[in-house]
Amino acid sequence: MKKLFALLAVFAMIAVLTVPIARAAETVKIGAAFALSGSIAVYGEGFKKCVDLAVEEINAKGGIKGKKIEIVYEDNKSNPKDCVTAVRKLITVDKVPVMFGPAGSSNFMAVAPVAQENKVVLLSAQGAAVGLTKAGDYIFRVFPSDTLQGPYLAKLAMSMGYKKVPVMYVNNDWGLGLKDAFVDAYKKMGGAVTDIIAYDEKKTDYRTELLRASKGNPPAIVNLTYINEGAVQFKQAFEMGIKTQWLCGSAAKAPKMVELAGKAAEGVMGTYPSVSQNTKQYQAFKEAYKKKYGDDKIPIFGDYNYDMVFITAKAIEKGGYTADGIRKALPVVAKGFKGVTGDKTFDAERSPKFAEYGIWIVKDGKIEDYKK
Amino acid sequence: MDSFSYYSQTVLNGILAGCIYALFAMGLTLIYGVLNFVNFAHGELIMWGAYFLFLFMGEPFGLPLYFAILPALLLTGCLGLAMEYSVFRPIRKANRLTLLIAAMGISVFLRNAAQFFWGAEVRTYGLEVMPGTRFIGLYLTMQQFAIIGVTILCVAGVYLLFFKSRLGKSMRALSDNLDLARISGIDTKRAILAAWVISAVLAGIGGILMALDTNLNPEMGVVNLIKAFAATLIGGVGNLWGALIGGLLIGLAENIGVLFISPGYKDGIAFVIMVLILLARPYVILGERSD
Repeated sequence: MKKLFALLAVFAMIAVLTVPIARAAETVKIGAAFALSGSIAVYGEGFKKCVDLAVEEINAKGGIKGKKIEIVYEDNKSNPKDCVTAVRKLITVDKVPVMFGPAGSSNFMAVAPVAQENKVVLLSAQGAAVGLTKAGDYIFRVFPSDTLQGPYLAKLAMSMGYKKVPVMYVNNDWGLGLKDAFVDAYKKMGGAVTDIIAYDEKKTDYRTELLRASKGNPPAIVNLTYINEGAVQFKQAFEMGIKTQWLCGSAAKAPKMVELAGKAAEGVMGTYPSVSQNTKQYQAFKEAYKKKYGDDKIPIFGDYNYDMVFITAKAIEKGGYTADGIRKALPVVAKGFKGVTGDKTFDAERSPKFAEYGIWIVKDGKIEDYKK
Repeated sequence: MDSFSYYSQTVLNGILAGCIYALFAMGLTLIYGVLNFVNFAHGELIMWGAYFLFLFMGEPFGLPLYFAILPALLLTGCLGLAMEYSVFRPIRKANRLTLLIAAMGISVFLRNAAQFFWGAEVRTYGLEVMPGTRFIGLYLTMQQFAIIGVTILCVAGVYLLFFKSRLGKSMRALSDNLDLARISGIDTKRAILAAWVISAVLAGIGGILMALDTNLNPEMGVVNLIKAFAATLIGGVGNLWGALIGGLLIGLAENIGVLFISPGYKDGIAFVIMVLILLARPYVILGERSD
C-alpha cells in the first residue's frame, strides 16, 4: 500500500512538473531522427546545418502563424535499430505529428512502418530506393525516386549505341528497385538485357561475377553499385583484362570510389539527380548558407533538407498542427512549389514528380560532368 | 575470351578465394584443436593484421611494403597472445559457452577499436592497380600470385612444425588430452602460447593478402570468417589438412556456382555444401579427427 502511494505521488509530481512546461512551450515541434553519430554521422551534421538554416529563416519571418518552429533532434546512430528507437521516442515522448526521417534507404524503411502505424507524417530528403514510401500514406520524400533514374540511365545507354547489355546490381532495396526501373525502360526502348547478376554487399571477391558479366565481350555493362563494392569490382575487372564501358547509378559517384579503384575507375560513367545551381532560389540559399556558416560548401543533400523544411512549414500552416492535417496539406502546398532543388510537386507515390538528372564520368582521376 | 579461358579463369578465381579461406580456417582449426573452443574473435586477428600493415606503411613509420610486413605480423602475434593472457587463460576451465561468449565480446571490442582508430571507411594500401599478366589464357596479378605461393608456404610450414618438431608434437598431444599431456611432463603453457602465435600470424597473413588484393575495412574479418567456419566444418574441426581442402572446396564451389545460378546465392552455395556434408557424415573428407 505504501509502495502504491509512493508511486502515485511520483506520478502526481511528474504531472505537475510537465504540464506547465508543455503549456509554456508555444512552439511548433518537428521531430528529426538524424545520424549524429555512427558511420554516416558526417552526412547527418550537414543535414542538420541546412535544416537549422531553413528554420532560422522561417522563424525570422514570424514562424508559422506567429509560432516559432522548434526541431527536436534525436540521434539515430546510423543503424536501423537505433533509428526505430529514435523515432519511437519522437512519437511517444515528444508527440510530434511530423518527423524528418533518417538517411540511408534501409534505415528509413525500417522506421517508415512505425510512423505509418502511429499515424505520424515522415519525410525523407535523401532516399532514392524505389519502394521507399510504400509503407503508407503518411510517408513522403522530397528526393526523386529511382523510378525516374532508371529510364534516364536506359536513355544514356541507348544514346551511346549500346543496344545489348548485361546488368549487375547490389542485392538490396536500392539496387533491386533501380535495376527493375532500368530494365523496364530499356526493354521498352528496344534494348536487350543479356544477363542479370545480383551480388551481395561488402564482399571482397567479385571476380567470377565480373567474368560472367563480361561473357561475350559486351561493349558496355550496367553496374548499379556502391562506392566500396564498385571500387573492388572495377579493380578486379581491370586486373582480369575486362575492357568495357561501365554505366552506373548515382551511388557510386564519389571521390572515395576513384581513390580506392585508382586508374581502374578511369572512364566509368553514371547518372545522378542534379540540381540546377543557376536558379535564383539556389543562389539565395547558397548566399544564406555562406552568411550563417562562413563557407559555401553545401553539404550533400543539404539543399533537399532545406526544401523539406519549407514544404513542411507550409503544410503545417495550411493543414494545421496535426498529422492528418499535414498529410492532406503536403501535396497541395508542394504542387508547383519551386524550391532550391526544383519543382517539388508530389506524384501519387508521394515522391517528387519531376527530377533532373546529369551524367558523371571519371576523367584523370576526377569525377566530372559528362558532355557529349 | 574463349570458353576455355572463361572456365579456367573461374577455376583460378575459386582457388584464389579458397586459399584465403584456407589460411583463415587453418588458424581457426588450430586453436580449436589445442584449446577445444571456437575462437569467434579470429576474424578480428585477420582484420588487425591487415590494419597493422596499414599502420606501418603510413605515417609516422612510412615503411615500404616488404619491410612493413614483418612488424605487422609480429604485432598480430602479440595480439593473439594478448587475447590468451587477458581473457582466455583466466577462464580456461570455464564451460564452452562462456568461452564462446568471451570470444564474441573480444570480437566486438576489437572491431570497434579498429573503427575508433581508423574509422569505418574503407582504406587501401595505395598500391598502383596493375593489369594482370597473361598466363596460358589466364590473368594473374602479382598479389594473386602471392596468395597462391604464400598459402603453399604456410601449409608446408605448418605441416613441418606440426609433424616434424617437438613443439608440434606437444601441441598434438595437448589436443588429444590436456591433462594427460600435462602429467606426461609436456610444457603445455608453451604449446598453448605457440598455438596462439601461429594462429594469429596465419590470420594476419591471410588478412594482409586479402587486403593487398582488395582493400581494408573493419568488417573484413567477420564477413569472411563465416566461410572459414564452413571450411573448418567440412574438413573436420581440428584437422589442418581438412581446413585446406575445405577452404579450396568452398572457394571453387562458390565461383563455379556463380556461372550457373544467380550470384545473389553465392553464400548459400557454401552453406548448402556444409549442411549436406554434415548431414551425410561429419568429417567425411578426411575420415576421423584426432579426438
